[in-house]
Amino acid sequence: MLSSLGNPRQAAAQILNFGLVLSTAFMMWKGLSIVTDSPSPIVVVLSGSMEPAFQRGDLLFLWNRNWLQDTDVGEVVVYNVKDKEIPIVHRVVRKFGDGPEAKLLTKGDNNGADDTDLYAKGQDYLVRKDIIGSVVGFIPFVGYVTIMLSEHPWLKTVMLGIMGLVVVLQRE
Amino acid sequence: MTSQEKITVYNLADLKNTSDDAIPNYLNSLKFRQTHHLTDVRLALGYSALAIAGACFLWDYKFGFENTKLYTAIAVALYTIINSALTLWIWKVEKGVVYQGVAPSGETISISTSTIKNVPEYHVSVTIQPKDKTAKPETISFKRSFADWFDEAGHFVAAPFQSMLASGVPVVAKLDPKRVVGPTPVSQGYSAEMLDVLSAKDPSYSEVAASGTDVAVKKGGKRRTKA
Repeated sequence: MLSSLGNPRQAAAQILNFGLVLSTAFMMWKGLSIVTDSPSPIVVVLSGSMEPAFQRGDLLFLWNRNWLQDTDVGEVVVYNVKDKEIPIVHRVVRKFGDGPEAKLLTKGDNNGADDTDLYAKGQDYLVRKDIIGSVVGFIPFVGYVTIMLSEHPWLKTVMLGIMGLVVVLQRE
Repeated sequence: MTSQEKITVYNLADLKNTSDDAIPNYLNSLKFRQTHHLTDVRLALGYSALAIAGACFLWDYKFGFENTKLYTAIAVALYTIINSALTLWIWKVEKGVVYQGVAPSGETISISTSTIKNVPEYHVSVTIQPKDKTAKPETISFKRSFADWFDEAGHFVAAPFQSMLASGVPVVAKLDPKRVVGPTPVSQGYSAEMLDVLSAKDPSYSEVAASGTDVAVKKGGKRRTKA
């Protein structure tokens, strides 16, 4: 199979096939981002703070457009906090005002207190643009793999090892 | 005579790809001038799609989603269009064409090949456009068993493969008359000269032939005991 790399057109075609697999996956993700207007339309729940609604490892689908109605009390939203890398999934429990400047307060269903401690220093509430989407659907448990991989980095090594082994063993 | 590489004879994709790769080797050696128009268009489409996705990745990484939303939307639309064009090109225009070229005598030849799932037969369709562009192109289709040019171990054997093309396609026959084996199918009879070529230069192939006669002898034996 490697001999085909001697032919530049064939080599280019093989590299292209590989590249198109990656780029199509990426562009589908970006397309979904554009449609939902969310930078990250699919997220995995990392903590138990929303139990029993969502467990660790649930895969959530987000929608970030207010076509029919504004984000309101009761909705589960994913929001970013300034200077924190990981977005948080919690429920809106209070709302003051209307439109994009409405002040929103969130709380995890399973938490004792609301989220004011989680917000940035001096921040007492969220506004609409802090939110990257409301949860519109979920698949339980399938995101658990990513949690395992990020919590036990040695699993990544094991997985790479197994994949490498498979590649070596499949070589003909 | 055999290639160094060995393929799995039960892998239909391997059989087809190896055979496809052998066509340009053979025809170009007969002084056909290969034209790469189809491949070049496919590569141009594919790589421009790849470039768009790459650029989109870079600006997204550098400037974030919110700042580049409009550009990303345009990129997604463009990528979809180019990718559909590429799919249509492969499906409707290339249609399995593996070789296009111009014979030294001026005919344009276009060869497409295909296989049917789980059937180890090579379907070859050759379209020949005479030198005179207004003339009607002629299409020849035939199918042969892959076993004709792959030995038991999975080595590609060039001579019978070349005979298959030379016997089926007049333009090739004209350029390589010694490979033509007449109207009988390749699998049923080689010229004495051809058998010499096969057995002399390819020990593994003659082994196959030997085991073939073994089977025949055994069959005969069985019939005798029955009678």
